[in-house]
Amino acid sequence: MIVKMSRLRILGPRDSLPDVIKTLQDIGLLHLGNPPQSKALTPFKLDRRQERHRRYLRRAIQEVEYCLEEFRLGQDQTHVEHQECTTSDYARWAHLARGVSREVGRFKSSAAELEEEQALILKYRSFLSGFETVLNSDVKWTTAAVYNVMLHGEGADPVGKVRESLTEALGGRFELRSHKLPSGETALLIFAPASAAGEVDRVLAEARVEDIPVPASFGADSLAPVAPRMLRRLDEIPFELEEVAASLAELKYSYGPELLKARAGIHDRLEELEAQPLSSMTRRAFVVEGWLPVVARARFDKRLRDEFGDTLMVSELSRAEWKDEEVPVILHNPRVFRPFESVISLLPLPRYGTIDPTPFVAVFFPLFFGIMLGDVGYGVVFAAISYLLIRKSKPDSAFRRIAVVGMTCAAVSIIFGILFGELFGDLGHRLFGMPVILIDRVAAMQTMLVITIGIGFVHILLGLVLGVRASYHQHRKQAVGRGATAMCVALVPVALLSMLGKIPKTTFMPAAVALGVFLVVLIVAEGPMALIELLSTLGNVLSYARLMAIGTASVMLAVVANDMSKLVPIAAVGILIAFVFHAINFVLGLFAPTIHSLRLHYVEFFGKFYSGGGKRYRPFAHWGLNNQRIV
Amino acid sequence: MTDKLFVALGAALAVGLPALGTGWAQSKIGAAGAASLAEKPELSSTIIIMLAIPETMIILGFVVAILILSK
Repeated sequence: MIVKMSRLRILGPRDSLPDVIKTLQDIGLLHLGNPPQSKALTPFKLDRRQERHRRYLRRAIQEVEYCLEEFRLGQDQTHVEHQECTTSDYARWAHLARGVSREVGRFKSSAAELEEEQALILKYRSFLSGFETVLNSDVKWTTAAVYNVMLHGEGADPVGKVRESLTEALGGRFELRSHKLPSGETALLIFAPASAAGEVDRVLAEARVEDIPVPASFGADSLAPVAPRMLRRLDEIPFELEEVAASLAELKYSYGPELLKARAGIHDRLEELEAQPLSSMTRRAFVVEGWLPVVARARFDKRLRDEFGDTLMVSELSRAEWKDEEVPVILHNPRVFRPFESVISLLPLPRYGTIDPTPFVAVFFPLFFGIMLGDVGYGVVFAAISYLLIRKSKPDSAFRRIAVVGMTCAAVSIIFGILFGELFGDLGHRLFGMPVILIDRVAAMQTMLVITIGIGFVHILLGLVLGVRASYHQHRKQAVGRGATAMCVALVPVALLSMLGKIPKTTFMPAAVALGVFLVVLIVAEGPMALIELLSTLGNVLSYARLMAIGTASVMLAVVANDMSKLVPIAAVGILIAFVFHAINFVLGLFAPTIHSLRLHYVEFFGKFYSGGGKRYRPFAHWGLNNQRIV
Repeated sequence: MTDKLFVALGAALAVGLPALGTGWAQSKIGAAGAASLAEKPELSSTIIIMLAIPETMIILGFVVAILILSK
């Protein structure tokens, strides 16, 4: 359900605006709206000093947030008790954030340099190791030029081509050694007389080779003198990286808690400063408007009256005054449905005044999942995993909500598993003759197909009915169109079944006549293109065949897993193979039903009535309190 | 014997051809999705759903194959 909201207008003496803003933040219930506009009103503007302060705080909070992100405290929503802060607090926090962010930046760049150096040495390690002896004896080559280059593996025998070109240019006055790198490139080591350096340079340029870079920290142009040091660095770098990580951890330990306090304090002050321009002024009065849940109105009025007595006037605006405005949305559902809000949270929030689909999702999502998985064994394993997640997660966290959804789906899967007589496929039947209570999914695929398409009809019809309700107040024509579509969708199967003789043939004529009438209504209400839309809706119904198809695929894989175990003469190996197959099937059995249940909801069901794009209710409050449950 | 062969062939084509179509569509969506994810990681769930959309073809193909085989 979408919570009913009130649009309030608060009117008071101009001088009391800062105090009112502070109190509104303390109350934490009002979602501030755009500044009221009228000829008699002028928008409030921060003075230059306040604007400078705001910019200063904005920069400071960016630095604080950067540090907290690096300390992995960015998502830490630990509630910090609100305290009155002074100008010196903000200055101290800004100074602290600047210092800490500089330190963090320094540590991060040295870690990045070390990692880069490590990656480079690792890349050429096999080259350096392969030619270590030769490179170490570089001293013998004082009258020679040494080249360390890398050849990309294009064309046939690239090393041979370089060797050929060098032979042409220098005769036999050079030595070339090559080493294939794991990356596919070839590293070359070339020794040539110093007098022939120009010729070698030309040949290498023509061969489009790349110099093997020497890290700047080694202070050398050539690889030869630094190769042993580079190899030694491979042992040293991990220790240096650990030192950097330890220094960062020390910074986090020393300054993390204070930075969390700073974030809360600066956030509150910034919000307060940025809330003031959302008001409008006359010469003597101010006006602020905003939204709050109707149920919180009495509490809100009482707090304002306690603080300001009769100096403020709070009035509720009529719907006509705000009908074009975007109203913030709060979803409020009974406790059992609440975890399923996470399923629709993947989409934009529904608009105010439309339908919250959570209760319908809470019924159909587990139902679809259960029909597709439908196995006692997999259901029990899934329930155990969900139970563990519930135990490990914090109450009211997103993780907990998903785990509860998982637990519900697991329970429904177990119920359908009992009805289908499935425990790890047909293992239950093989071991202890587990009976099929409702339907054997392998033997009666056509019946299953009919049942799932029947479920599709119900689901799509429900979507269309909700569509009528959603558009009834604002778009009457659309509501009529959706109603006619719903009737057509309901009548098509009646006409078809009576034609096929599955239901009494006498129903055909009334159904066909009614279908014709509703088709005319549909065309009048929404135009001829609505016929294509109707066909697409009927196609949507067929899409529910996936409930049967994915379920059948899952049970067949489980049966194959059980059969595989019998093909191997050693029982233990057979059981192991069956276990691996069941594990794979279990993972597929979680993914496929989840994704396809979501798809059936998002594409087929929501397409009939859902109107997204709602704005989340975000009351003007102290840090960490604007996400709390209000109703 | 020939009838059975054609029935089996028909069922195989009913699954095989939509499978190719689904695979081709998913390759395109997957590539575009991966590129979008690099810029907007919050789109991951939408992309997973979009990847599931062409699966309708293979699912309906599977249903048709079952209908062919059960005749």
